[in-house]
Amino acid sequence: MSERDRIGKGHHEKEEPFYAGQGRILEMIAASGPLADILTRIVLLMEAQADGLRCSILLLSNDGKHVRHGAAPNLPEAYVKAVDGLPIGPRVGSCGTSMYLRKPVVVTDVLTDPLWSDYRGLAKSCGLRACWSTPIISSHGDVLGSFAMYRHEPRGPNAEETRLTEAATRIASIAIERQQDHGMLREREARISLAAESADLAFWVLYPEQNTAWMSEKGRAMYGFTPDEPLTRESLVSRIHPDERAAVQTAFEQARASQQTFEMEHRIVLPYGKTRWVITRGRCLLDEYENVLEIICVTIDLSAQKQSDLQLQVQRDELARLSRIALMGEMTASLGHELNQPLAAIANNAAAARRFFDRGQIDPAILKQLLADIATASHRAGEVINGIRGMARKGKSTRSLLNLNAVIGDTLRLARSDILIRETAVVTDFDSRLPDVEVDPVQIQQVLLNLIMNALDAVEALPLAERRIIISTRSLRREIAEVSVRDFGSGLPKDRPEKVFDHFFSTKAEGTGMGLTIARSIVEAHAGMLGGEDAEGGGARFFFRLPAAQRLPVRQAA
Amino acid sequence: MIDVVQVERTTHRMRSENSAESHVVCLVDDDPLVLNSLRHLLASDGIAARSFDKAETFLAHIEVHRVSLVVIDLWMAGMTGLEVQARLSSMCCQTHVIIMTGSEGPDDERTAMQEGAIAFFKKPFNDEEFLGSVHDALDQARSS
Repeated sequence: MSERDRIGKGHHEKEEPFYAGQGRILEMIAASGPLADILTRIVLLMEAQADGLRCSILLLSNDGKHVRHGAAPNLPEAYVKAVDGLPIGPRVGSCGTSMYLRKPVVVTDVLTDPLWSDYRGLAKSCGLRACWSTPIISSHGDVLGSFAMYRHEPRGPNAEETRLTEAATRIASIAIERQQDHGMLREREARISLAAESADLAFWVLYPEQNTAWMSEKGRAMYGFTPDEPLTRESLVSRIHPDERAAVQTAFEQARASQQTFEMEHRIVLPYGKTRWVITRGRCLLDEYENVLEIICVTIDLSAQKQSDLQLQVQRDELARLSRIALMGEMTASLGHELNQPLAAIANNAAAARRFFDRGQIDPAILKQLLADIATASHRAGEVINGIRGMARKGKSTRSLLNLNAVIGDTLRLARSDILIRETAVVTDFDSRLPDVEVDPVQIQQVLLNLIMNALDAVEALPLAERRIIISTRSLRREIAEVSVRDFGSGLPKDRPEKVFDHFFSTKAEGTGMGLTIARSIVEAHAGMLGGEDAEGGGARFFFRLPAAQRLPVRQAA
Repeated sequence: MIDVVQVERTTHRMRSENSAESHVVCLVDDDPLVLNSLRHLLASDGIAARSFDKAETFLAHIEVHRVSLVVIDLWMAGMTGLEVQARLSSMCCQTHVIIMTGSEGPDDERTAMQEGAIAFFKKPFNDEEFLGSVHDALDQARSS
């Protein structure tokens, strides 16, 4: 297809006013139209301004040493072909020389000018006599190409032709430079894409003003886009899991306002319904007026990692559950006693009611009392069973906002009978300003029970009067809640205190040796720490610290 | 020390003989629900009983009242049933003892019986057996 056909207009466009023509060309440049078309329009516009004028635009090759065809719709095809690919130099016609010298070269007669000595025959056969060429210089001062005017008669340019040349080189410079920027951008994207692909990342750029996006091949595969599918903000958002769209949007807006990098873990939903966990990290490029030019993002597929995290979580939960069951085996007294008390009350009250009936003398008030007590005792037994079931339950760990003082209270109630039977005094010293924590209540109760049962064991051999443990809480800088369980036993092993955290280390005949190990792993899974030390004045002190729950961010009024 | 105990014992003998309202059966358990159920169970068999939710109040009571039988819970906050039993035998009173427990340690029953308990019950227990033991104890108290 020739350039002339592509433009779809006649040879000359005298009818088009010059300024309107320039405007149309600038619009094409702004819309990133094809460079060849734009350059052809420039040539045609200039030719239309004077009779007998022929123009051409040549480009400097990437190596900076050769001329490349740009646009020459009205020059003979043989001439255009012959010029394409010529080296630039001090004696290469008008154009090759002007690019080489970086200044206008005016040849009034190609048949006599020494610059044309090698190309005289070619020019003559095409009927060209005068050729005035001006280099097209970029905004950075680099030579981009040249604009040439040809005449069939030997002469130099008049004032009007000089003015047209200035206009043509200026517009051509913008068009070529802009196209080169795009080329560089594509090259940059290609390079990043290559890097991203080899790192198993998706790379993408959103241009909000144009509402278009570019995405690396890997990214398209990750997000479930076909290689040619045009991308927009909407198509990207449609892939984000509906539950997380608002959160992603918020993270993005915050990053935009603070001009910082944003990072979001979220799910993407593929067109066929599959979801995958990803982490997207990105940042906004702003112009001087703080408009977002580009949003550049990297997305990592976390699905595989999530899967193994999940399996690890399941294993940890199961181990914790088995350990709880073992722990409850140790708390024989509490479980039996707490259940047998209400059961005894139920049995006695029922037997009493039957006996009153048998004797034929039943006071309705007493019967009512017996039934009410049976109901109360049943509820109490139910609560005990629920407590046991909660501790032994299989299932997902769920976290809630709790105050550890209250959790300790619940735990002491659960272990009441064991404390009673071991005839140990439990002293509590609670910090009323203890910050709340976000924890799995069952698991934290397990940690507490573990420490309490260990402390009870530690003081078992002591005389009755010295048999006590102290459970205290305190707040560290309002950021950390600390619980400590202190006994007055013989302290940590002297040879290596850390031994108590070893797997299968136990001082008890029936101990599994896993209690403290698991307690520590539970606390660590809650982003906390668990430690033990010899207490001042004898005995051991075990403590754990948990981070205070994050307060929900208060939205600032705009 | 021994003299003091002797004196106290004499005092309580004299007082209890004079007191028509003295409860012959006492119940001691720190769990009010269990305590009430025992009182009702005995009442359904025509036996009046006095309830105590603390071992200490019962010990204060027996200082001044004659008690034929006491049913004591083994595990109570403050003082265990076995301790109460030991205190009673040190007072050399004629009170019969039944020990009951919600959670049984391996030696609890043997210890209680060695110390002279007439019965040991694991909660929850059979009402016939329990009332049978109560009647046996009261019969023994009457014949002695």
